[in-house]
Amino acid sequence: MGLERGNLLAGALALTLGLWGPLAHAETKLRVFIGGQQRPDVVRPLLDRYQAAHPGVSVELEVGGATSDLQQQYLTTVLGSGDSAIDVMLIDVVRQAQYAAAGWAEPLDPYLGDDRQKLLADYLPVYAEANQVGGRLIAMPAFADALFLYYRKDLLEKHGLAPPRTWDELKAAAKKIQAAEGSKDLQGISFQGKPIEGAVCTFLVPYWGAGGSLADAEGRFQLDRTAGEKAFDLWLEMISDGIAKKNVAEVATDDTRKEFQAGNVVFAVLWAYGWSHFQNDPDSRVKDKVGVVPLPGFAGGPSATCIGGWEWAVSAFSEHKQEAAALVRFLSGPEGVKHLAIEASNLPVLTAMYQDPEVLATNPWFKDALSVVESARARPKSPRYPEISEVIRVNVNAVLAGVKAAPEAVGDMDARLSRLIR
Amino acid sequence: MASTTRRSRRDIGEGVLAALLLAPAGALLALIVLFPILRLFWLSLHEVRLSEPWAGQPFVGLLNYRDIWADSRFWRSLAHTLLITGITVPGALCVGLGLAFLANLPFRVRWPVRLALLLPWALPLVFSGLIFAWFFDTSYGVVNDVLARLGLEGPAWLSRPGPAMAAICIAIVWKTSSFCALVLLAGLQTIPDTLHEAAAIDGAGRWQRFRHITLPLLRPAIMVALIFRTITAIQTFDIPFAMTRGGPGDATETLAMYVRTTTLDFLDFGYGSALAVVMFLISMAATAWYLRWIRGTSE
Repeated sequence: MGLERGNLLAGALALTLGLWGPLAHAETKLRVFIGGQQRPDVVRPLLDRYQAAHPGVSVELEVGGATSDLQQQYLTTVLGSGDSAIDVMLIDVVRQAQYAAAGWAEPLDPYLGDDRQKLLADYLPVYAEANQVGGRLIAMPAFADALFLYYRKDLLEKHGLAPPRTWDELKAAAKKIQAAEGSKDLQGISFQGKPIEGAVCTFLVPYWGAGGSLADAEGRFQLDRTAGEKAFDLWLEMISDGIAKKNVAEVATDDTRKEFQAGNVVFAVLWAYGWSHFQNDPDSRVKDKVGVVPLPGFAGGPSATCIGGWEWAVSAFSEHKQEAAALVRFLSGPEGVKHLAIEASNLPVLTAMYQDPEVLATNPWFKDALSVVESARARPKSPRYPEISEVIRVNVNAVLAGVKAAPEAVGDMDARLSRLIR
Repeated sequence: MASTTRRSRRDIGEGVLAALLLAPAGALLALIVLFPILRLFWLSLHEVRLSEPWAGQPFVGLLNYRDIWADSRFWRSLAHTLLITGITVPGALCVGLGLAFLANLPFRVRWPVRLALLLPWALPLVFSGLIFAWFFDTSYGVVNDVLARLGLEGPAWLSRPGPAMAAICIAIVWKTSSFCALVLLAGLQTIPDTLHEAAAIDGAGRWQRFRHITLPLLRPAIMVALIFRTITAIQTFDIPFAMTRGGPGDATETLAMYVRTTTLDFLDFGYGSALAVVMFLISMAATAWYLRWIRGTSE
């Protein structure tokens, strides 16, 4: 009996040691969530580098959701239930206000300490500002973005055309090339009409270009109906003229990228990530045939673009906030930003990076992109942004599909947005 | 004396034993069925906005239900849901009946037919939606390609309200008729051949035998298929979500999609719960009506 008892004790001791052994010199496991569209193949090596430099920290990468909306849907279920499974997540530039209001993001100010101001000064002002809600730093910038006009350099040169500066020039150029090339499958322009986040910018770009603004001088909501209708009419004319395909209401962001990449599009309204795909993907038929310029404006008006980009946030439910904040600081620092710029053609959020010779070697067009990003405008900032976005995108989709007339859609948007934005 | 005591003790024992044996199942059901339903109903009486945590979760009584009554988007999504139910339930039943007869034919090798029956059923809904979204793609889809070969110009299927709804219904019928077929096939196999033989000897034709033997005996199976199919039709979500996202505009948004948008996108869990309760009540009403109908016709 005594012997048995001794064995049992020894066994229990061994078991306890076995369990505690790995924990004693254990690593902190951090879990990072990004979407499928944010190039996990590029982010993983960056995390490996961080692990190598920080023994005791291991970083897992979780990938899910191919669009901003689907990523958010997943994060909503995780964060809404207060789950600690995710430590660090990449969030779209439109979401900080919601995260701050819901208490999902850990404010990063205490983790940066005295460096905060100095650190933020290195970033493009628009991103330093976008990540602060009520004076608290909700996230750190990962990469910048804006909508650009991609064009087929080879086709424009062949037909003796310069990159368009106005929408009218674009329409004329597209028509000329489509007629001359004679291919039924060649689209003049591709943009996003599907009811997804991207459709919000499809409306705002020409709306801003036509002089519209969502806030008056006192910062109260207003919708300029004339500019709204002008914005819709621009796209509708392109559809009726055959420049855009008739089912552009089904086109999501990455559809534009794929169709341009397959050589079926002359002009594309797209974010910066397209460049790396066009230049490097094995199936790209447009390698070295692509140019990037700012989006056109209306004749005599300014060129406007929508600001994009993604931010690193630390979950308020993380059990390793200190370590997570350190990782976020690394990812949003020079090493992380440069890696994403070179490997994924993600626009840098650090101003100095636009002069970096290595970055410019892979992305020559970045040198002209800084001014575009700096002048890009932000979508409304609100904890109820998802509802605002939904009103705009459903109406954009309905108008482009021809289900709703433009004046009616603008009226509906005005009525519903005025209740959401105060 | 002794024997009666023992007997009564055993009687009590049996009752207690029965309760004890049923308790785990009962507890499990209460936990995974009753509790969520009650909690959903409880939530629907509150204002729960995750986007505004400082507002707390005040009790608002039936306010959410009053808002639903005045919500035109609710009525539109309900109409779309009922339209889909009205088309795809009979549609899937008819196609399923045909498939069941086909699978019940005395082939030498029946398993390939039955496997083909099972495949659409085993496929996740969202895959079916994605497959059909490709079929109906305006530029690259096989449907418009076939139409073009016939000299017709196909519509932009998924960006016109009518064609988009038609495409969704076709996808749902394709996906769900195999479930109906499986249920009906099981029913068909319980009908003894001798009945058909006897009727044939009495001079009954093929149609008469179908009308007076097969159909009445198949009634219970048809009912089971109808009930399950109707409930899933009222909950239609995956296929329209994958095919159109509710577009063009909100022309194909179903009630279940509206519930998802309200809760997961807008983080309005109170109103979303109230919408879900309404959807639940509609399913219950449909089921109750079917059950009454069965009882009414079987007596």
